[in-house]
Formats: sequence, C-alpha cells, structure tokens
Amino acid sequence: MSTELIRNFSIIAHIDHGKSTLADRIMEITGLVSDREAKDQLLDDMDIERERGITIKASAVTMNYEHAGKTYMLNLIDTPGHVDFHYEVSRALTACEGALLVVDATQGVQAQTVANAYLATEAGAEIIGVINKVDLPSAQPEITAEEIEHVLGIRKQDCFHISAKSGLGVRELLDAVVTLLPPPPDDGDKPTAALVFDSECDDYRGVICYVRVFSGELKVKQKIRFMGVGRTHLITELGKFTPKMSPVDRLSAGEVGYVIANVRKLSDVTIGDTITDDANPTEKPLPGYVPPMQMVFSDFYPGNNTDYPNLRLAFDKLALNDASFSFIPQNSPALGFGFRCGFLGLLHMEIVQERLERENNIEVVQTAPTVSYEVLTTDGKTTKIDSPADLPDVSTIEELREPFVRLEIITTTDTIGGIMQLSESRRCKLIKTDYLSQNRVMMEYKAPLAEIVYDFYDLLKGISHGYATMDYEFTGFEVGDLVKINILVNKIPVDALSLIVHRSVAENRGRKMLVRLRKAIPRHQFEIPLQVAIGGKIIARESIKPFRKDVTAKLYGGDVTRKMKVLKRQREGKKRMKNIGAVQIPQDAFMSILDSSD
Amino acid sequence: MDNQKFDSELCPSDRRAAGLYVHIPFCEAKCRYCGFYSEPIKNHAPQRLVSAIIRELGQYDHIEAFQTVYIGGGSPSCLPAEQLLRLIREITSHWPKPEEFTIEVNPGQVNKSILSRLRTAGVTRISIGAQSFNSDELNFLGRRHSVGDIGRAVEMARRAGFENIGLDLIFAIPPSTSLPSTMLGTGRASDSTLDSWKYSLRSAIDLDVQHISAYALTYEEGTPLQKAVEAGEVAPVDEEIDRQMYETTIDELEKAGFKQYEISNFARPGFECKHNLNYWRNLPYIGVGPAAGSYWNGKRTLNIADVKKYIDAIEQETTVTDESETPDNTQIACETAVLNLRRRCGIILDEFENQTGFDAMKLFTEPIGRYRELGLIEATDGRLFLTRDALPIADSVLCDFSTT
Repeated sequence: MSTELIRNFSIIAHIDHGKSTLADRIMEITGLVSDREAKDQLLDDMDIERERGITIKASAVTMNYEHAGKTYMLNLIDTPGHVDFHYEVSRALTACEGALLVVDATQGVQAQTVANAYLATEAGAEIIGVINKVDLPSAQPEITAEEIEHVLGIRKQDCFHISAKSGLGVRELLDAVVTLLPPPPDDGDKPTAALVFDSECDDYRGVICYVRVFSGELKVKQKIRFMGVGRTHLITELGKFTPKMSPVDRLSAGEVGYVIANVRKLSDVTIGDTITDDANPTEKPLPGYVPPMQMVFSDFYPGNNTDYPNLRLAFDKLALNDASFSFIPQNSPALGFGFRCGFLGLLHMEIVQERLERENNIEVVQTAPTVSYEVLTTDGKTTKIDSPADLPDVSTIEELREPFVRLEIITTTDTIGGIMQLSESRRCKLIKTDYLSQNRVMMEYKAPLAEIVYDFYDLLKGISHGYATMDYEFTGFEVGDLVKINILVNKIPVDALSLIVHRSVAENRGRKMLVRLRKAIPRHQFEIPLQVAIGGKIIARESIKPFRKDVTAKLYGGDVTRKMKVLKRQREGKKRMKNIGAVQIPQDAFMSILDSSD
Repeated sequence: MDNQKFDSELCPSDRRAAGLYVHIPFCEAKCRYCGFYSEPIKNHAPQRLVSAIIRELGQYDHIEAFQTVYIGGGSPSCLPAEQLLRLIREITSHWPKPEEFTIEVNPGQVNKSILSRLRTAGVTRISIGAQSFNSDELNFLGRRHSVGDIGRAVEMARRAGFENIGLDLIFAIPPSTSLPSTMLGTGRASDSTLDSWKYSLRSAIDLDVQHISAYALTYEEGTPLQKAVEAGEVAPVDEEIDRQMYETTIDELEKAGFKQYEISNFARPGFECKHNLNYWRNLPYIGVGPAAGSYWNGKRTLNIADVKKYIDAIEQETTVTDESETPDNTQIACETAVLNLRRRCGIILDEFENQTGFDAMKLFTEPIGRYRELGLIEATDGRLFLTRDALPIADSVLCDFSTT
C-alpha cells in the first residue's frame, strides 16, 4: 500500500468542545461502529475520562474512507485533553500529519484551544479549523471564526462548520482530511523507525505500545530495539484498532497500530521512544524524546477506610496504566506511612487521586501540592528537590531556583481587573494582552508554578464566574528569593508542615497555617505555642490555650461503671492522635491542615 | 488520714463488707439539675418501699458487719419519720454498730425531734444538702429550702447531739439576677458569680461544720437544666471562672482549717467521710433500694431504677439487679487507680499492689512518665498522686489510667 492513500490525524480541542463526539461520528460514517456503540464513545476507555469529559490516554483507530473512487486509510489518533499531558499530546501530534482543531461555537477559543494549536504547530502538523455545535441556538460561528483567525492565524473562511452531534458537515470535513492533509512520506526502504506515542498495560498480554511507523516496517517475530531505554524484544503481535484489536502481519511506513513484544511493565517503555530493527537499526532515533518530567508533588496517606499496604497495592496497579507519575514511600513522624507522589501537573494529580479512590474504592488524604525546586550548592552541584525536608542547610545553598510557566488565561473583558489583581498577588508577570473579540481577551503571563498549583485555578474561576480558562506550559527554572518556613508545635519543628515559599508571602502563608493548626489541635493540659520560623527567626506565633477545667465533680460507688466508660472514651479519643512531643494531634485534623481541598 | 489503713479483717471478704448504702429514691420535688434516680414521694406509699428495702437487706443476713452505713437519695428526709426510723432500726438491730452512720437530709425537711430520734437510733453523721447561700441560686437550682433553713438545720443537728455535720455545696451556678447586699463585687457577671460562691463558702465555714463537699454544677443528661442549656436559655459558667471558683474553694477551705482529701471533698482532720473513702479505695460494698449500686463478690451491679418495678421484684422474689458487670483483674486495677487518684493521698503503692496484684508504677509507666514531666503527677514516699495543678483537669489525666 502506498502512503499516498494514508492520512494520519488528530482531533484537538478544549474540554467539552466536542472532540469525542466528533470521533464517534467519524467512526460511524466510516462504518467502523454502529450508532449504539458510538454512544459509548469508544475512544475513551476509562469511566473517569467520560465523566470528566476529558481523555487521559491517547488511542488510535484505523478506518477506511472512500473518496473520489479511492479507498483511503484514515488513522485517527486521540490526544489527552489537557496540557498537563503536554508531552503525550506533542508525541501524539508528532505521529500525525494533520490535526482537526475543534472549537465550540457557543464558547469560542479557550486556553486549551490555544495551547493545543501551539503544540500542533510545533509538531509540524497541518491544522484544519473546525467550528462545532453550529446548530445550537447560542452558537456564534462568525465570532468564533474571527477568534480562530485572530489568535491562531487560520483564515476564517477556511474553517469547517459542523455539528458533531447531528453529523452536519462531518462528511465534508472527512473529504478535507483526504484532500487538505498531506500523506505520510514514503520511507519504506529506509531502516525501521517507529515512534511510541502511547502505551497501556493489559492484564493478559502485558504492555501494548501504540506506534507510528515513520520508516521501514515492523513484522511479527522481528527482534526490535527500544532505542531510548536500550532494551530488545521480540514482536509477538502487531495490529490495528478497528476499533477492536485486529492483528496484522506487518505495519508499513506511514501506518499506525500497536505492538506487543513481551514487555511486562509499563515503566519499561517510555513514550516518545523509537523502535528500530535490532539487526538493521536506524542511525538516529526520532527527535523530540524527553523523559516524563514531574513538576507537581503531593503526599498521599491512607484515609479512613484503608491502610498503607492497600494504598501501596493501589499505586502499583495504577502505575501499570500511567507511567508518568511516581510514588516513593514516605514516613513522617507526624503523619505516619504514606507516599510522596510526583505528577506532570495539577490535573494529572487530581486524576490520579480520583482513580485511586474510584478504581480501588479507597480513601486517600492528600497534602497540598508543592513543586520541584533546583538547588545549586556551594560545591557547584545542581540537584532537584521535591520536598522542603530535603532542602540542604542554608549555608551550603548558592541558589534556589523555582519552576516558571507560560500561563495563558482567556476570559471576558469585564473580569480583567480581578484577574490582574489575583495574578499580581501571585507574582505573575503580564507579558501581553490580546483581544480575541470585543469582549474576550487572552492574557499571557510568566508565572511561578508554585503560585498557581495551589488554589489559583479555583480563585480564577471564582473571579470570572466560571468563564475564564487557563493553561500553562513549563518554561524553565529561575532563581528566586525563596525561603523555607518551618512550623513549630510546642517548639518542636514539624517537618511535614515545612514549606518553601517566596519571601514576600512567607509570613502570610505561615500565619494561615497557624490559624488552621490552632483550629485543628485540641486543647491540652498546657499551653501550646505555635510558631512560624525562617531559619532561626520566628516570624509569627499563636498559641492554643490549655483547658482549665475538666474534672468529674462526683464519683461515688454507683457511678464507677458509667464514669469509667466516659474516661475510656476520652482515652480512646487520645489514642487516635499522633504525638509531636507532648502534643497530641488528631490525624484527620492534621490532614485538614495540609489538605488542599479546604 | 493520708495513710490511714482500713481494717484488713473487714475486707475483702464475703462475710464482711466495707459499706452499706441505702438509696431512698423519693423527693418532695425533683431539682432541675439532679441526675439521680428519684420520684415525687406523693405518688408512692413509702411504707411499701421501706418494707421492700428491708426485705432486700434480708438477702445479706450472712454478712457479719458493715464498717459504714450511708442512707442517701433522693431525700431520705422526706420519708415519714416512722418509716425512716423503722429502716434504721432494722439495720442497727441486724448488724453491729458501724464506725460511721450517715444520713443525707434536706435543710427544709428536718426538725429538732426527728434529728434527736435519728441520733438516738444510731445515726452518727448528718450530711446536709445546702447547695448555696444565695437564694437566687437556690431558686435557679429548683431547691425548696431557704438560705435560713441551712443554718437552722445545722444548729438543730448540733443540739440533737451530732458532732459530725457535713454540708454539700454547688459552685459554677450561672449568675443570678441579684446578690445579697453583703457581697459587693465590681458588678461584672464573672465577679458577682465568684463573689456569690465566696459568700456561700464563707457562710458554710461560719456554721462551723466538720465536712464540706463542693461540687461544680454538672449538666446531667436528660435533666431540665441540661435541656435549658441546649435550648440556649442557660449559659454555663465560663471555664475560667469555674476554675477560679474551684481554686478559691481549695484555698479558702484550707485557710479555714479544712483539708482537701478528695477532688470535691474537704474535712476537718478526723472527719473525712469513711463511707466515701471506701469507694475511692474501691472496696466492696452493698447497695440496697431502687437504682442502688453494689460491688460485691467481684461484680458491679445496679438495681432496677424504678420504684414500682423494684417493689414488684422484691415482692415476687425475683432479682432486683438490672445491670451487672464483672471486671477482670486489669480492669479492677484501672478502676482502683482512677478512684485512688481522686484522693489527695493518691495511690498508696503497697496497698494498691496488695489489693490488685499489680505494681501501679509498672502498669501505668507511660502516663506516669508523661504526667510527671508535665508536673501533673508526683510519686514520692510510696505514693502516686495528682498535683494541685492536675486537680481542675483531673479527668484529662485520669482517662489515661482507665485502660492499660
């Protein structure tokens, strides 16, 4: 088969702009699935994806489409819907020659529309503008088209107006996929090079790699090498998703499909890696490979209905399906046994928490997210730390660097003031303001990641009455005036409560922690001082007053049984607490201090 | 009294009990704060109850002696004189004269004649439910007697020959509208409440009694007072004031020559209530009457808390026990520790080990260590006891001795 008749493309969109519905419609039109099956939105494997309206993992389906008397092979490669999965999205887009950029005509261009468009351009994919939901009464296709032209440089008259739900305009769009998008290059004669753009783990077959063959071919029983990780494997099965797994003997240059090669663990495969023939390898791997980078960290502890071994099992299970998060055991004297977990970003973290709870039916308690820092020590070494507790002694620190991101916010013009105030209070620097239309604006900021991982998104939604959307992309580490604040309970520093923050907000953050602590720690038999310290200097203090009266007035013969029960209950209450020196803190209360959700 | 030893001949043994408690569950009217079992006497025939109690006493014929006897309630003094005397004569005729024979009385329910007859019948100690010397507070509590009744009752008891008279007082009563002119404070609610309490204490001291029990007002489940608090009609006294009152009590009474021997109890030397001391030693005792508790043959039991059902059970010769518990050895040790620690003398380590088989210092190593460090417990001279600082917050310490 000549590559002339192959088209590889993705659909990219902001959340809920209709990506999955369009994919369903395309599969229906190409006869791949029935109407009823389409309802299940086959591209989304996991419940949670459907509920959140986003896709966690990329998938790929192969379809046939008749056009002008020829049968084309269309490979639709799905992409995750959030830029936390920026890297996965970019790999999936690299596997395509083109992308359908879907924008909801009732919503207009949103932050992720822009972010996705940038990624597609960077990946060298041709973009076709698609305005969806044009049949809704509130649709404003003309304004949306203008926004697309203004922000993304796609001419408004070139945009396709469709309704993915009704199918309106979808055939015309498929024709455009064939006529407007280029075919893959015909490099079948060159040594084998296939890009792994996604992977998943199947209980019975092991790891399934999603690949795009760029040159040469893949054959069953071929000995292949994963160039990045340097491991060799024998291919046991090749196939395509139609959308069910359909085995084939070979995958040729330009084609998309799956590879099964006795890979047991998901962590043995990295997305972006190049597969080549072990005997006749390609000279250079395909460009763009980066190991997954975790930017956001949070501690997970067993909640009410579970314990540490169960949590560990759940994480192990989860890791089979998600190679981009990490978890290492953590033992805090205050909080007990748990895990320090690393995530690509905030949304990724939320998804992991939800999957943990849903797929394993366990509750977890999660501490406030923090970011990764770079430390340059006086010996000239640079190390990354993801826990304030790991920060070396201040005297050995030459530079402390924090991660910065390019932050894009799209909002209505009447909320600019509030958003600017919020951003300024979070050390965000406005780079530019771009009017998308008369009443919508895109603001681009340079922002410290630490300032937006915490509660920024919630505040943004509040200020904009839910209208603003944001997206961000890591740009690099920069030196900052950062300090570590320690919280002392009864004069004992509590490691689990220490934070790395910018000096300008240290006192404020510290005070907030004290207020929460004061509410969470029950009164004791003595006064408990609570302090915030930077280095040896106390910058804020509070205290928990002791209880003054707690004694049963009468205890005579007949009262013994009843009073003993009361005392035992009082004692039981204490048993569930964690000790920090002589101070007893209820574990759940401790969690509430750290919990990001309140 | 700190190291006073109880005659080991008497106890523990199935033939001799430390104490006999008789519960008279009748009152003229129920006080708002009272959580004990009692019923208005007008709804019942007192002689039937007394007969039933006498029949229950008959079950303990095999017991040779009681060290102490205590008739409490309710209000034993609301029983008709002849019924009360019949009950007392029944006890004194069956068992040798106890070392201490106490009866609780209400100040408004006694006269010279009944007090003399009680004394003659063998009662040695009178415990008067005075509660307060502030008439507004008496009203607030729902007491039926007047401030004047208290002094008169004390005087009459003394004339009747009682040399061991105790007063019960209640502090931390929510502030009343007005105060007797003799107590002048700064006018702030907290001061007036504290002043009112100081006045009650002073008045009790001035009556030259031998024993004072001072209880912080408690809001017992199901009482009208507790409901009033829930409904927001009554605001309990601030914790800090409550504490000040308690500290004042200890200071004032000690200054006046009383010695604190238990969290809420003060006595002139030699006048500690022996009956109650035995509870805090966790010695076996017999309780008779509706709702009375016993600790006998290793079992803690509670009688039926219903006059009619109790009488029926006695008359039909079925059991009057409603609840029963047999604590194991560790539990007994814990109970003993908690009770002992309520005494200022605390746990007498030798005695504790003889009685329970456990070395208290080992059984409670963790809390002892922690609380010694906090200055809430001391261990010296073979004793382990709460410090003065621990008394107002004793429950928070004692709970750590309630289990091991």
